[in-house]
This record gives sequence, structure tokens and C-alpha cells, in this order.
Amino acid sequence: MNLKKKQQKLDARFSGSIRIEDSGEYFHLTGTASTWEEAVEAGLLCAEKGGLKHIVSDVTVPGQEKPAPILPKLTDKTLEGRTPDILIIGGGVTGCAIARELSKNKLDILLVDKEYDVALHASSRNDGMVHPGIDITPGLLKKKMNNWGNSIYDKLCSDLNVPFERTGQYLCFKKGWYLPFMTLSVPYCNMTVAGKAHVVTGSKLRKVEPDVSPEAKFALYFDGAGMVCPYGLTIALAENAIDNGAQISLDTAVLSMETEENDGKTTIKSVTTNRGVIYPKIVINAAGVFAEDIAQMAGDRFFSIHPRKGTNAILDKKARRHINTIYSLMGTQSKTGHTKGGGIVGTVDGNVLIGPDAIETIEKEDFATHKDSIQNSFEKHNHAGKWLTTGDIITYFTGIRAATYEEDFIIENGRFTSNIIHAAGIQSPGLTAAPAIGLAIEELACKMLSKQMTVEPNENFNPVRQAIVKPKEMSDEDREKLIAANPDYGIIVCRCEEVSKGEILDAMRRSLPCDTVDGIKRRVRPGMGRCQGGFCGPHVVNIIAEEKHIPLQQVRKGYEGSEILTGEKGAAQENGAEQENGAEQENGTPQEKGGGRHE
Amino acid sequence: MNKNAKTYDVTVIGGGPAGLAAAISAHEQGAHVLLIEREDRLGGVLKQCIHDGFGLLRFGEKLSGCEYATRFMHKLEETDVEVRALTFASRIEKTDEGFLLSLIQSSGFEQVKSKSLVLATGCRERTARQVAIHGTRPAGVLTAGSAQYYINILGQLPGKNCVILGSGDIGLIMARRLTLEGANVLGVYEAKAEPSGLMRNIYQCLVDFDIPLHLSKTVTEVHGRERLTGVTVSAVDERMNPIPGTEEYIPCDTLILSVGLIPENELAESLGVKISRATKGPECNQDYETTVPGIFSCGNALHVNDLVDYVSESGENAGRAAAAYAKSGHEHRLKSVEVKTDKNFGYIVPSHIDLPAKDSVPFFFRTSKTRGRTRVKAFMDGKEVFSKVFAGLRPPEMEKIEIEAAKLQGAGPLQFTMEVDEHEQ
Amino acid sequence: MNSKEGKELICIVCPNGCRLNAAMGEDGQLSVTGNKCKRGEKFAQAELTNPTRSLTTTVRTSFSTMPWLPVRTDGEIPKKLIGDALKELQSVLIEKNLRCGEVVLTDLAGTGINVIAASDL
Repeated sequence: MNLKKKQQKLDARFSGSIRIEDSGEYFHLTGTASTWEEAVEAGLLCAEKGGLKHIVSDVTVPGQEKPAPILPKLTDKTLEGRTPDILIIGGGVTGCAIARELSKNKLDILLVDKEYDVALHASSRNDGMVHPGIDITPGLLKKKMNNWGNSIYDKLCSDLNVPFERTGQYLCFKKGWYLPFMTLSVPYCNMTVAGKAHVVTGSKLRKVEPDVSPEAKFALYFDGAGMVCPYGLTIALAENAIDNGAQISLDTAVLSMETEENDGKTTIKSVTTNRGVIYPKIVINAAGVFAEDIAQMAGDRFFSIHPRKGTNAILDKKARRHINTIYSLMGTQSKTGHTKGGGIVGTVDGNVLIGPDAIETIEKEDFATHKDSIQNSFEKHNHAGKWLTTGDIITYFTGIRAATYEEDFIIENGRFTSNIIHAAGIQSPGLTAAPAIGLAIEELACKMLSKQMTVEPNENFNPVRQAIVKPKEMSDEDREKLIAANPDYGIIVCRCEEVSKGEILDAMRRSLPCDTVDGIKRRVRPGMGRCQGGFCGPHVVNIIAEEKHIPLQQVRKGYEGSEILTGEKGAAQENGAEQENGAEQENGTPQEKGGGRHE
Repeated sequence: MNKNAKTYDVTVIGGGPAGLAAAISAHEQGAHVLLIEREDRLGGVLKQCIHDGFGLLRFGEKLSGCEYATRFMHKLEETDVEVRALTFASRIEKTDEGFLLSLIQSSGFEQVKSKSLVLATGCRERTARQVAIHGTRPAGVLTAGSAQYYINILGQLPGKNCVILGSGDIGLIMARRLTLEGANVLGVYEAKAEPSGLMRNIYQCLVDFDIPLHLSKTVTEVHGRERLTGVTVSAVDERMNPIPGTEEYIPCDTLILSVGLIPENELAESLGVKISRATKGPECNQDYETTVPGIFSCGNALHVNDLVDYVSESGENAGRAAAAYAKSGHEHRLKSVEVKTDKNFGYIVPSHIDLPAKDSVPFFFRTSKTRGRTRVKAFMDGKEVFSKVFAGLRPPEMEKIEIEAAKLQGAGPLQFTMEVDEHEQ
Repeated sequence: MNSKEGKELICIVCPNGCRLNAAMGEDGQLSVTGNKCKRGEKFAQAELTNPTRSLTTTVRTSFSTMPWLPVRTDGEIPKKLIGDALKELQSVLIEKNLRCGEVVLTDLAGTGINVIAASDL
């Protein structure tokens, strides 16, 4: 599709309000659209799937501004003058995998993330599936990275002591007569997916998944599919990177970059953050939905990210008896059609996930959930599992995918800037691909660095990361010994998930420390259960305050400013007393008002 | 290691009002009793119920929740019931001799044997997401029980400008408590067309403090990234679905939820106990024995009560029966009779009666909706065995009736009905 | 709801929560309807003249295992004095062990009513 054709398509759809230009390295879209969905549509209309010449969109929607990134309030000089060999921007699973792989080398590695913890965006907001790569078009970079990443998972998770289950995945079909065609497709599948595909008859399917819907007549089984806890893996990668010498600085936002021109190439000279100016040799862009913003700061913008949000529901562990693996039913859709792929997923932690849907959004950090998303997902997946009931929902979450218009990963050196490497456009299957992206970027970075320094292996690199002990999974004998050695493991704080005080303290004392209720929840799961912290919440707050020697009202849920308590009781008693007197008898006001209201 | 396991006649799980009563009554029957509590102090949720109004039926006094619990604790101190606080029953297995419990405590892992079990595990609160409240996940959204713990146990306020969703008693009590301790309660919202809590709590907790009660309105969305900045409330139709166009934004920093209690029965379910869909507690007979012989249930784990006096009563009943079971197993049972109701009932406990029954059998029921003058009848084999007129029935108010055991000797089932009573007495 | 029609009240004496209508007759006699028992009449009388409430709250202790002790008044105090009462209790610090029912403070806000421990400490 040449430029002229693209413009014609745009004109036909948007009657001249959107222009496309070829600026050599990319196609530039400008103009206005009436809604954000249309702005995205314009980009998708012109993009070539997997194309290397990307769409950069500056299409705006009048009256609707792209929200600026939410920045940490903190400012200090902790990082002032730091001169790391490598600065990684973004503490998602991609950034942390890169940091971990790079720490195999004797390098000064600094990873920054603007949030208070790693894995706060897409890496904690997905369904945790390790994909065989069924619906990815061959030839795309993400296909290659998916299959490569998938093949590394067993070893990586065993090294990092992260639970990983290669459960396999059933893609079920409603029409029995598809079976011969699907049988014919198996050799092709086997060439393109991670692992192997198998045709499974309805009765065989039901031996593994007895509660799958009667609508499912047979299935394709992909043995390469698996489940991992996405934030658990990210945290493990981050800890292992730190254990091997990398530094992770949280609450650290990249605000701007200073670049200089040398022989027609741009070079990043310094990177300004809220915690000081950093002078890195090279920069790695793993900034997720903000990858385009980082590229622009570096003078290397040649792609655009259009955020796409998806919501999943988490079901009670009771629902897990209906599912042992991962399954979905082909050709089912909710009424609105806003769901994409997805399925019913049994998680490594014993819950069930339903979703996600897919909705374009201008907001990169709006993680609010909406009723429609849940309804749509249930409508769709109810076909696959008749047992699904919204009554089993314990909570839900929204994640935002960092999609490019070409819907492919970008893993390459800068096109205009000489010392930046991008790991951008990492949307699904980014979790599966992360270990491979880590290796690919390591190679690119070492090559880039070797022009200015010798890169030597880190002889002390230890690929193994010790996990926090899980007493409830131990044998009775081992658990007894553990408690005898440390009685805190015998004090159960969270009863739904059976989490001990000892584990909570462990979570706070790791190489990547954490001191928030949500951070602890992601590490050792108090509050993840059906009561959602109703019982254990106050106990966890107490433990954090004790461990950190801070007053209770300084304990945060998560973000800066998310303190759970507002101060000691009675502090505003003056006010309360006045109200009390005001509520007095005269003219009988309160009784009248109150009486009138509820009768 | 279970060779050296200590053996008890009755093990009570849960040291709240139901468990305390069960342990004491099992002890009074001569049983060797173990009481397990996962918190560091006994009393269960009553520890944080500093408000008064407890124990009117039992003690004829308006005690605070803490005092009510303390009375039972003092009684317990006079017994040789073995109490383990800060102890968690992580696993219970059925064995030929009874049950094998795996206990986690700071002193170590321990297994004990018990001939019978009383599950007095209480209930938990429904959360925001479990009532389909959407939006963000800021600090400042919590259940009324958590808010009560923060204020009454930790002495801390969970917020300054609070909206309360749900007019159940806990929500109302918290509205008053927050106000007295200096927070500003902007209003109580209730999706139903009538308040869920006791009328006197509406009066002394809301009216006294000029706190508005908004009926047929619910919170649909929460806003704010770090801390709650506001909630969206909407009017709801009769089926409690939000009506589009009625959304209203209320700025506030705290949302407190009192939107229902769910009996905690995960342990029971792990033992194969059948759970009633109506009560969310175990199906049981008049002794509160569940569908698994030797396992008894009581208090809010059996069904959510509105008066603690009834909780204690069910604990005593279950404790007594558990002790008898431990001593001699089941007496000879002739038959089991199903207890049925028409659809006017919310639910009734027990779900069946094992005959022969002793003395008189208490039944606890709730109406499915608010009714005026209503006659409640019970039939067995076509014969009326019970009839009583109630001046009015409301779903939040549990009713108790008793039927003489002698009348329950038929083939069954025992059928309860409700009808409008037109005759003035 | 003027005085002729009477005032709508809800009796808070027991969980029944009777809806009362209390009207002051021209002879100054109070007539109460809607009460299921005698106590409702007494309640309405007080409610119209000097409404009283019992007060429950917590007071600070010096014990880290139980930093706040639940307490209650051993009778009812005038509603209008609740603010003063809370202020007075705010400054109380319990430094010794108490049994449930023992007096924590006498003559709360000049009402003659005592405050008692509602739990063992």
C-alpha cells in the first residue's frame, strides 16, 4: 500500500481531516478525529501488520487531551551524577528480564521506574498465560520472541524459584465437522507454535476438563501453554538482577533527556529524573505504554503506542474445581464484541481468571474497571464453561497493553539516536516473550557497549534466586522445623491464603524491599483471598508499622499518598462535639428529618 | 507424629460468641474440650463491638459486645477447657476415630485428635467488588468491620469524610462511631427500598447525628488513584439495577461497606459438609449437626444472626450435642425429616430434623420480604403442628419459633407456610 | 409533625424498635401510642424533655498488647453532654490492669454517671 493509497483510504473514511506523510523513517499522521477510537482507527488503517516502517500518529481529538504521565511527588538527589553503563527505563517484566540478563556481565546497571514497585502496569495486570503462540501471524517478531521465550520458561522459573505450570491449553470447537480440517492443520501448527498441537476428541477433553461446556465437541490441545504469576516472575527477575549487582531505583521518573549531535547521529548525553541527572553510556527503553514518550525524549521517535485496555475478573478458589488447565471456545463472542481472545484460566495460585476484553483508550494509566467489561467477558466465556457465575467473583483488574499500530514488538537499536535500544510495543505475548527479549537486548546492548568498553562476564553471576518460603506447601515435618526456628512462621495473619507473619516480614526484607500493603500482597498474598483483606488488612498495617518503626497512619496501601489511616481517633473531637450538640432536640429537627427520610 | 497426638472429645474452632458458648456447654456435659482461636484474644468480632445493646434476651441488660464476650470468657476461665489462641487449624482430616487436626501456632506445628468438631468460624464481610462496585482501587475503601477494627482496636480513624454503603446494623453503628470520633459521615446509602438494620439503630445512630439515609440508591463507582476522591451513586430500580442518568458524584475520602455477611465455611466444605444455598451455612439438623456425622456448626457460620443471644444459644446447642456425640455416638435414629418452606421464607434453620427429637425444637427463619400481619403455620403429614401470628415480618429481623417435639412424629416432611392474617386478634 | 399530631419516635430500649407517636395533650399529659411495652412510654417522656443516651467508646491504655480499652457509661447521660463527655474521656490514660465492670472514671461530665471498663485489661 503506497502513500497515495493510504491517503485515499483516510479520506474515504475521515473526509480529509487526517493527513499522512512519509518522513522517510516512518509514516506521520496528523489532523483531528472526532473520537479517540477514530484516531486509533486511522492509524490501524494505514499500518501494515508487522511493518518495519511504523505509523507515528499525532492525530488529536479536539477537547480530549492525552493525559500526562503521573509522576512521583518525591524529589531528591539520590541519583545525581550517576554514570551507569546501562540505564534501563521501566520495571515491568521486560525491563526486569533485561536487567537480569545483563547482570551476567560485569556492568554498572541501573533500572528506574516511576512507580513505587516493579510490575505495576501491564506486568501485574494480565492473565499470566505463557502462550504457545497460536494466533500470532508467522513472520512477526513477536512470534519469534514468543516461541523463544516459551522455550526458556522451565529453566528460568526453576532458577528463579517461581511457580510455573505447563498445563497446556484447549482450544475447543463447537462444530464437530471441523475436526478433520483441524487434524490437517496439526502439522502446520507444530511448525509454528511453541510445543506441539494435538487433536483431542470431546470425550478425551472431558477426561481432563469434565466441566467444559457441552457446546465443545472437540479441541485442539497445545501442550506448550503454561501459567505463571506475572508479577511474581517480574519481582523474581528484579531481585535476581539486584543480587547480581544491578541497581533498581523506584519512584524514579525520567523527565527529560539531553542529547547532542555527532556526525549526523544523535547521542543521549544525560537523563534527568526527579532524583537527579544520570549520565548513562546507553539507555534501554522498556517503558511500556510510555515507550513512545521515552523515544521522543531521546530524539528517536519512529513509532506510536496506542493503549488498549483489558479487564479480567478473578474468581474464588472454589471455582477452580471446574478447571484444571486453560480453555476457550472458538467462535463465541459477547454482544458488543469487545472481547479479544482470552479464555478461562486456572492460575498457579489456585484462582480462576476470566477475560480480558480489549478497548482502545487515550488514557495510559486509567486502570478503572467498568461493569460492561465483566459482563462481556462472562457472556463470552459462559459458552466455554456453563459453570461460570459472577457470584464467584472476588475482584477484577484492568491492564493496559502497549500496542503499536503495526501490532508487533520493536526490539532494535535507535534509528536516529546512537545509544538507545528499544524494547517497545511489548503487548501480549510480552510475558511469554520477556525471557527472550532479555537475551536479545543483552546481546544488542553488549555489542553497543563494546564500542566504548570491554564487556566482561560477571563471574559471580548466580542465576538462582531463593524464593520466600511457603510454609503451607511444606511437609508437616519441615513446617514444624521452620516454626521452631522462627515462631513468626507459626502466626497465621491471612486466613484465606494461610500466610504467616514470617512470610510478610520476609517480603519486606528482600533485596528489592517493599513496605506497602499491596506490595506485600503481590509477594506473599495476604489479602488476595476471598475476604480481600477484610480480616488481615489491619494486621498487615500493624506489621508494616512495627517493622519500619513508623506510626500506623504512615502505612500506605501502595502509591505515595495512599495512606490507609488518617490519624488517631478523636483528633477532630471538637468538630464532632459541635455536631453532637447541633443534633440536639430544639425544634425537633433531627427526628423530623430522619423520620421523613426513611418512611 | 500423630501417634502422640492429644485426644479431645470436642474441639471447637473459633473463639467468638458461638465458640465460647459451645466450649462451655460441651464442658458442662463432661466433655474434654479444646477451643481454638486464630487471633491472640478470645471474643471474635465482639472484641471490636464496643457499642451496647448486646445480651438483652440472655442477661436482661444492655451490655457492650466486649462485656458480653467477657462474661463468657470469665465462665470459661472456671472450666478446664483447653484454650489455644493465635492458633490456626490449617487442615482437618476425617479418621476412623474422629478427626485429626493440624494446628499452626507460634510454638510449632501440632496434630490433635478429636471425636467431634464444632465449627464456630463466624462470617466474613462482602467487599466492594463483590457487590459490583467498579472504578479504581484507591486507599479509603473498606468494610465496616475493618473500619471498626481500626477505630476500636487500633484507635485509628480510617478517614475524614465518609460515605457508608449499606444500612445494616454494622453500617449504622459505624456511622455513629465515626461521627463521635471526629469523622464526618456524609450519608448512608441503601440499595434496598427499606433499611436493613434495626429501627432503633436508624434512630440512635443516624437520626441522633443528623446523618441522612438515602434509600434505593447505591454506589456504583469509586474514583481516585492514591486515596479515594469520591464515589458515584445512582438510584436503583426495584431489581436493584442502577438507573442510567441518575448518577451523582459525591466527593469523599472514605467509602465504608456494610453490604452483607457470608458464613465462613471453607473448613466445613473441605470436610465434605453440604452447604445450604439459602443460608450459605451448612445444612443441619435440630442439634446443628451437619451432613457429616460428628461435625456441628453454630453461630454466624451456620447462618447470619442479628442477635448475639441467638448465636450463643446455637453454640450451646451444638456444644451439648457434640459432647453427647463424643460420648456415645449417635443415639438410634428412626428417620430424618426434611424441613420445607414456601417461597415466602428467606430461609429456615434447621434444614432437617432427625427423629426422635427431644423437648421442643427451635426454628429460626427470615421472611423473603417485608410483610404486615402474617400467620406462620407448619404442617406435617397434612396435620397442622404449629400456627402463630406475627404483627409484621422484615427480612433483616430473624424470628424464632419453637415446636414441641411430640408433634413432630409424622413421616414428614415438615412444611412451613406464611399467609396474610386478616383477622384481628 | 406539630405537637397536636405528636412526634414520631423510635424506641431504642430494646431491639423491637417500636415506632412511637408521642403527643403532649393540652393538659400537659403525654400520650404515647405504638409502644409494645411500658418502657416505650418512659422513653418517649425522656425523649421529649431530656433525651439521654448511654455512651460507649475506648480510652487509651499504657499497654501495648491492648492500647485501647473499651468503656461505657453505667447509665445514660444527657444527649447534649456527649461532646463534653468524649472530651473528658480523651485525656484518660489507664495504667493498671482492670477487670470488666471496674470504674474507670467517676461523675462523667458532671452527670454523676460513672464510666466502667467493658472488658478485662
